Amino acid sequence: MQDDWLLERFIFWIPLVLSLTVHEWAHAASAKALGDDTAERLGRLSLNPLQHIDPIGTLILPLLGVPFGWAKPVPINPLRFRADVGMSTGLLLTAAAGPASNLLLALLSTGLVGLSARLAPGLLPDAAMPVVSTFVVLNVLLAFFNLLPIPPLDGSRIVESLIPDYFRPAWDALASYSTLALVALIFLPRMIGIDLFSWPQGWAMRLLHLSGI
Amino acid sequence: MKKSKTVAVWLVLVVAVAFLAWQQQSREPRLRMPFTQFLSDVADQKVASVDVNGNEITVMNQEGLRYGTRGMLDVALLGKLSEQGVQVRYETGGTLTAWIMFLFPVVLLLGFLVYFVRKSKGSAGNNILAMRRSTHRELSAGESRVTFRDVGGCEEAKESLGDVVDFLKTPQRWLNAGARLPRGILLEGPPGCGKTLLARAVAGETNAKFFLVAGSEFVEMFVGVGAARVRDLFEKAIKKAPSVIFIDELDALGRRRGSGIGSSHDEREQTLNQLLVCLDGFKPNDQVVVLAATNRPDVLDSALVRPGRIDRRIRVPELDEAARAEVLRIQTRGKPIDGVDLHEIARMTAGFNGARLESLCNEAALIALRRSRHVSGNPLRITRDDFVHAMRPGLNEDQRFNKLDLLMIESATQLAEPTGTARVQIRLLDASPVEGDVIWANGAFLKIRRGGGESDIIVAKQQIQQLEVLEGTGSAFADELQIDNWARPSATV
Repeated sequence: MQDDWLLERFIFWIPLVLSLTVHEWAHAASAKALGDDTAERLGRLSLNPLQHIDPIGTLILPLLGVPFGWAKPVPINPLRFRADVGMSTGLLLTAAAGPASNLLLALLSTGLVGLSARLAPGLLPDAAMPVVSTFVVLNVLLAFFNLLPIPPLDGSRIVESLIPDYFRPAWDALASYSTLALVALIFLPRMIGIDLFSWPQGWAMRLLHLSGI
Repeated sequence: MKKSKTVAVWLVLVVAVAFLAWQQQSREPRLRMPFTQFLSDVADQKVASVDVNGNEITVMNQEGLRYGTRGMLDVALLGKLSEQGVQVRYETGGTLTAWIMFLFPVVLLLGFLVYFVRKSKGSAGNNILAMRRSTHRELSAGESRVTFRDVGGCEEAKESLGDVVDFLKTPQRWLNAGARLPRGILLEGPPGCGKTLLARAVAGETNAKFFLVAGSEFVEMFVGVGAARVRDLFEKAIKKAPSVIFIDELDALGRRRGSGIGSSHDEREQTLNQLLVCLDGFKPNDQVVVLAATNRPDVLDSALVRPGRIDRRIRVPELDEAARAEVLRIQTRGKPIDGVDLHEIARMTAGFNGARLESLCNEAALIALRRSRHVSGNPLRITRDDFVHAMRPGLNEDQRFNKLDLLMIESATQLAEPTGTARVQIRLLDASPVEGDVIWANGAFLKIRRGGGESDIIVAKQQIQQLEVLEGTGSAFADELQIDNWARPSATV
């Protein structure tokens, strides 16, 4: 039984690494599409996980059993966007690309698995199911988490590009407490018995059910 | 990052996760039953075998169904099972996995720690430890292809260094004779006479490792680094013996102590002291020879050149005529020279040092190359003429005008009175011909009006290889051209 602990950890970790890779790649690719090649020149426009690994967020914490992770952020230089793309629009699009890619991955993989279950039952062995569900839940979770409007996360960039200048100073003042806010958001609801992340998990489960698995 | 690498990483990860999933599935009992189910199975005598691992019990019943449950096998239960003849296995397994479980986070944390130590080291400037390492270049046996054959002249020096070569090649003979080779040899002489080349040749002649370092390389921003580098250099050289340490520009390091401006120059003296200690430090059978080169032997510290340290001085003198001819011969090896009397060139190049002769040969080759480029079908030959032109002072810097010069010359010629007329035919150094009337000449330039719709051209004296006066011979102006040495004797003379 004990070995399962390690097994489960890696069954969680590998989909995590792949999802994070796609996430960061999506940032880089969208920036490239909008004319900013900063990420590309840094070698980040790549689906190779090795390019995106953050030693703590991708290796140590997830492997130590924290059911979560992050990768090296992809740098975006809004000054290099094409002339026809506004800087804040560009930032919004590149920031949204990451979570969007995760949602897409979740939808795609459920769709594919659902299709294969209907059209060719038995094609996917039962053993694949835990991996697939881990993958889907993880991606929905990543998308949800990254859309939280707290500064290091993608959601904050989206908010930043949307709020009027008038609120800018207030936002910046709040941003300095962002780390605290993030920790609080993760742990406080849990302390009063609400698991914030059970929602996206629930959505993912519903998605999986919809696909008929 | 290569596409194939990306694909490979993905494949590995996907295969790994598939394998893990399969592992997990095959390991896990499909069914989990409450403990009471197990008890009732025991009561019904349906149990075939039981595997126990701590509180985890895996049961196989007689219908072949496997399920897991959690509970205690107490004595009564065990008694019942043995009565029924059920196989009970206790699994001791899990010690390995327990170890892995224990070690896994530890290894991760250690890796994390190492990563951060590395990172902080990298950020703290070029790390301090690396700075203490010597900055020498190492040439191993195969690399330095220079031998004594490539060194022209300096026969005396070669002979003296022959001892070193012999010592490094057959140390046993020297040991048998009880002879001690001088630790250090100082090559002294004016710049450009082949001191460095000689040292390289020593390495080329023997199979010894060659440590090439310049005296100034021991100087660094931080105090103590110089001494540390000296130690490091000597340690490495001793480890890789037989070896030759060559310290170029020794005077940067070995200047007489206490001669600094103001208070003494502590850091340099530390470095020098370390060098002195290291020179003393060899054992007799350490096959390490220190060669040093300087063109300021007079400023060296007397402790550095005392017997037992760098005590043999070899003078690398300026080249005499025979030596110059030798150098020229070596330098023109492999160059297509044609009818060049190297002894004559050697006679003409009194006072040239080796470096200058080398550049002379190179320059001659360049001139020949340019010449042959302008005259098609001409085989590339380096002639005596090319050498003579290469020797002309000032030529090496730049053979052509730049734009600014041209402008200045133009304005000067505009203001100048015509000096006289003469029709001349000129062959330039690059072999292109110019023909026309001289409309103006001063000490350095001619302005020539060419016929046939071509623009006026300004020609520098330095460009001219041959000038022939076609019309107006005998006029004062033409004579002036002759006297002023515009018309150079042609190549055949």
